[in-house]
Amino acid sequence: MIRRDHGDHDAAIPAAIGVGLRAPHIAEIIATRPAIGWLEVHAENYMGGGPALAQLDAIRRDYPLSLHGVGLSLGSAEGLDAEHLRRFKSLIGRTEPMLVSEHLSWSATGGTYLNDLLPLPYTEESLTIVARNVAIAQDALGRRFLIENPSSYLRFRHSTIPEPEFLAELARRTGCGLLCDVNNIHVACANLGGTPEDYLDALPTAAVGEIHLAGHSPVARGGGTLLIDDHGSPVAPAVWQLYRRALARFGLVPSLVEWDKALPSLAVLLGEARAAESMARARVDANACAA
Amino acid sequence: MPALRELQAAFRRALLDGDDGGLAAFVSEDGMAAAERLAVYRNNVQWSLADMLRDTFPAVCRLVDERFFAFAAHEFIRMHPPERACLAEYGARFADFLAAFPPCRELAYLPDVARLEWLTHAAAYAADGEPLAPAALAGVAARDTPRLVLGLHASFGFLASPWPIDRIWRLNRPGADSDETVALASGGVHLEVSRRGPDVVFRALDAAVFAFRHALAAGASLETATEAALTVDAAFDLGGAIADLFGDAAVIAFTLAPETAP
Repeated sequence: MIRRDHGDHDAAIPAAIGVGLRAPHIAEIIATRPAIGWLEVHAENYMGGGPALAQLDAIRRDYPLSLHGVGLSLGSAEGLDAEHLRRFKSLIGRTEPMLVSEHLSWSATGGTYLNDLLPLPYTEESLTIVARNVAIAQDALGRRFLIENPSSYLRFRHSTIPEPEFLAELARRTGCGLLCDVNNIHVACANLGGTPEDYLDALPTAAVGEIHLAGHSPVARGGGTLLIDDHGSPVAPAVWQLYRRALARFGLVPSLVEWDKALPSLAVLLGEARAAESMARARVDANACAA
Repeated sequence: MPALRELQAAFRRALLDGDDGGLAAFVSEDGMAAAERLAVYRNNVQWSLADMLRDTFPAVCRLVDERFFAFAAHEFIRMHPPERACLAEYGARFADFLAAFPPCRELAYLPDVARLEWLTHAAAYAADGEPLAPAALAGVAARDTPRLVLGLHASFGFLASPWPIDRIWRLNRPGADSDETVALASGGVHLEVSRRGPDVVFRALDAAVFAFRHALAAGASLETATEAALTVDAAFDLGGAIADLFGDAAVIAFTLAPETAP
């Protein structure tokens, strides 16, 4: 039995819109304190000391924070890096984040860290391994994780479990929540086949604790086109449509706009957050009318 | 059907060595060749690490030009991929790699420029530590003083070079725009890198002070570090050197080395 109670931190989460905090925006946010519901950072960027960590402390005084891990490699057959878990736990202790999340993917094998979120075959073996790693991480960190659906560019022939079912079973076995990245759903379905709406509908509603939004771009490869999840442009119209559907299905869960490549001004990023907020608000108003 | 552990090892070979052989058969093509699909992941890994190295070693990049740097970075990534997830710590071995990289053989000073850039990068990210005041040592008996081991702030780094790499770096750092030239034969330097407040700084030290601080940073006792400094300069001023260490907020901890048997 690996399901554990990891407290009710989630009860304090404001269901508002956040943005991914990136280094070039930090000084402006500290100086101007714009109205943003919360901020999310990649945990691995703050595992040392110095001015970066001091700035994060300053941000944390003004905003709720979410720690988004990119390096735990929860899908590694060889298990987790104990030293990395220790550093992650120390950062959680320091920042007291409202949410802690990671990915359904792997990066580490044979003492090498491949710095990408690599795809897993969806098999019973993978499910056993990921569930064990998630349980170990949740126990070590004393927090419930939200696990994000990946953007994918390939599928393994020996996969037997549809991805949303794999995530649902992972949540059932470990008590983890899910981070529904609607851009990743759009990208993965475009690249591998499948209908984004069906994918969304197959996720277990109660487990979804966060939504991610971001941009992607098409790239021509080998006579076809792949959508690349590069977080380098505004959220696409089809992804906004999917976000509306996600709001209707999952309710007002905290939602985040991410932008990494070709990072725009903070004003542009906050404009995307406002667009998300008005969609979320429209959903509240629609519910109020229906009540 | 491969076990996950074997599949992940094959994925590593595909990404780092360009050998898709063990993996392609397990990838569903769905209208696009497996090689095209794997190339997306390979490009993500290669380009993001190469970008990171370019950001960490901007003066090296400028000295060898972008295209050569990209070539060297590609070889480095293949031979020394990251071992841990904190990528701010990736690149510690790049200077040694350059020193042994045959195409760089003519640029004898290049590895030391890379070492300086690595120390400044590492100093920015080094663990925080609260500096001690000299009074912290008040309880140490005089007879134990030689056994004192002073812990320096993690941002301190030391580099001795036979080349004037501080001047080479200044003329090739990001944003530098000067036609000034450096005579390679103009002499070597003993450099100390550290963090002052939020800023990383480096400066040239007197050779004996360098030997003293470098030995302390490596964990030597006060006695051993003093011997190292006196070997360089018989007039080394120990009292002044210790006062300067505290003045620089360099000391964050101390212990006593075990007493050696008489």
